[in-house]
Amino acid sequence: MSQVTITVDAQDYRVEEGSLLIEVLIQNGIKIPYFCYHEALGADGNCRMCMVEIEGQKRPQIACDTIVKEGMGVRTKGENINGVRQRILELELINHPVDCPVCDQAGECKLQDFYMDYGLYDSHIDMRQKIHGKKHVDLGSNVMLDQERCVLCARCTRFTADVTKTHELGIIGRGDHARVSTMPGRKLENPYAMNVVDLCPVGALTSKDFRFHQRVWFLKSTPSVCHGCAMGCNIFIDHNKAKYKEDTIYRFRPRRNDAVNGHFICDAGRLSYKALQENRQKEFELGGDSCTEQEALEAVKTAILEAQNITILIDANLYNEEIERIIVFASGIGATVLCPSDCYYDESFGDTWLKKPWRAANIEYINRTEIEHRLPEGSVDLLISFNHPSSKTVDSRLKIIFATHQGHKADILLPISLFSESSGSLTNIHGMTQHCEKAVEGEAPDLIRLVDMIEGEL
Amino acid sequence: MKIKVVKRYGTAFKDRLYIPAIIEGLKITAKHLFKNVNDIKSVDVLEYPEEQPRDISERYRGLHRLTHREDGSVRCVACFMCATACPSSCIFIEAVERTDGIDEKMPERFAIDLLECVFCGYCVEACPCDAIRMDTGIFSVIGSKREDFVMEKEQLLAQTGSFGDTFSRCHNAGEKQDD
Repeated sequence: MSQVTITVDAQDYRVEEGSLLIEVLIQNGIKIPYFCYHEALGADGNCRMCMVEIEGQKRPQIACDTIVKEGMGVRTKGENINGVRQRILELELINHPVDCPVCDQAGECKLQDFYMDYGLYDSHIDMRQKIHGKKHVDLGSNVMLDQERCVLCARCTRFTADVTKTHELGIIGRGDHARVSTMPGRKLENPYAMNVVDLCPVGALTSKDFRFHQRVWFLKSTPSVCHGCAMGCNIFIDHNKAKYKEDTIYRFRPRRNDAVNGHFICDAGRLSYKALQENRQKEFELGGDSCTEQEALEAVKTAILEAQNITILIDANLYNEEIERIIVFASGIGATVLCPSDCYYDESFGDTWLKKPWRAANIEYINRTEIEHRLPEGSVDLLISFNHPSSKTVDSRLKIIFATHQGHKADILLPISLFSESSGSLTNIHGMTQHCEKAVEGEAPDLIRLVDMIEGEL
Repeated sequence: MKIKVVKRYGTAFKDRLYIPAIIEGLKITAKHLFKNVNDIKSVDVLEYPEEQPRDISERYRGLHRLTHREDGSVRCVACFMCATACPSSCIFIEAVERTDGIDEKMPERFAIDLLECVFCGYCVEACPCDAIRMDTGIFSVIGSKREDFVMEKEQLLAQTGSFGDTFSRCHNAGEKQDD
């Protein structure tokens, strides 16, 4: 593709010929307000918010429907264009209930942002004149609709029409009475439905799972990777440590990565943060009774020294660094490392888009090592399981389990941190290695630190 | 930007001796002492606690209270504006969905730790619904342990204003206005 030169606010840019003006503006970090345009859904041209002045054109034009041309002169700021934006914003807000205090979008709402940037006018509309729509309608799939707050940008309907192709949502009615709704008798029902909550630029669609639990301005976002399946979708872990409380994860949000998941994640992955934080193994246990870290490490040392043969089971959700560390540790004590992988495979979970039937984040890395995918054969004297879900099906004289969650029976039980409590990298099913940052501060010790200490004792 | 040049004092020999300034200060102290001893009646003294203060006005920032709606239910919608504005982070709110149809959201727990509170009144300023006020006129709270000073939602709702206006005049967003 050939390049053309355009001028935006008296500065020249070399851009791809035939691209949309709004794309060029967004890519170059030029501030432009918009509701209906979305990089994943394309232009729709209904919100009229992205108006810019183009030299030689009588009236302001929408940037999402303008193709760049050689020598085009564009103005994105100035009194004139700000006035236009203010008047469009006023139209968007005619029937808006202005219930920001109870709205869960407050803090990440485009209407709020644009009002602060271009609005700040006194309303001409009396609260009594506003047309009322239905509030807190449960659309299904954890999505709540508030028709009054909607700006009719049609991002959600375009998502169900173009991306999931399930066509549950539509805009019905005309003029002031136009509103988003499901088809009669139908619910929003597809495994990616909750993405409409992220797509919605205002508080019309909110997540039933997240709403009212935390105000968004308290949340800290840490980039990470979803551990729901082998796809390795990029996410943000939104967490907050409230005063006198533990650091808690409140939601997972998709993080854009065009090479993996684009802009979206599946609902199962999005909601996986809940099970992550429930029933955590917090204490060291010896024969079912809690003990200190030192006592547990002492017992592990004795068990390893006395064992005739050692088998290690390794969870396919651990980070690459942790797997490498365990392999080194295993060769030091002469243990066999196995990863029985049948328990991770769920054919019904997979689909052709983001959901993969392998429900283990790092199964591909296990494949690339010499770890075999089978259960141990013959009699096992000492079994050391690093959080592997099948450890209870293996019979052994003695069991040592490193566990993130409760529900394991072992002679020695050691708690370890979650993926959100430590950093590391994962290799997804397409062989892409991605880094996860440490998000929350956990009580349980880091796996690598524990292994280091055990090796130091030996 | 406009720059104002402020003259620095205290570098002269007389200032660095300190003694003239001390004498000047003692002179003022002595003047007040003799004046008060001569006419002890004119000294403004409040014999607290037998005598209670009479100068607590409408603007006095006393103990907080949560206001009610006309139907007697809690006005607060748990928007967290007060907790966000609070400089000592002493407001603890847990929000929950309101199911009685009056509003969408309400506080499940709303507590103020009075031992952490600095009584700045920012919470009252920040509240978009006039749900929290400091007009009870109460300036002293007594307790025997730390927990006694954590005012829970029920305690805050039970307080009444000392200066009228039991119901708030503010209309919450989304609420129907009949006038």
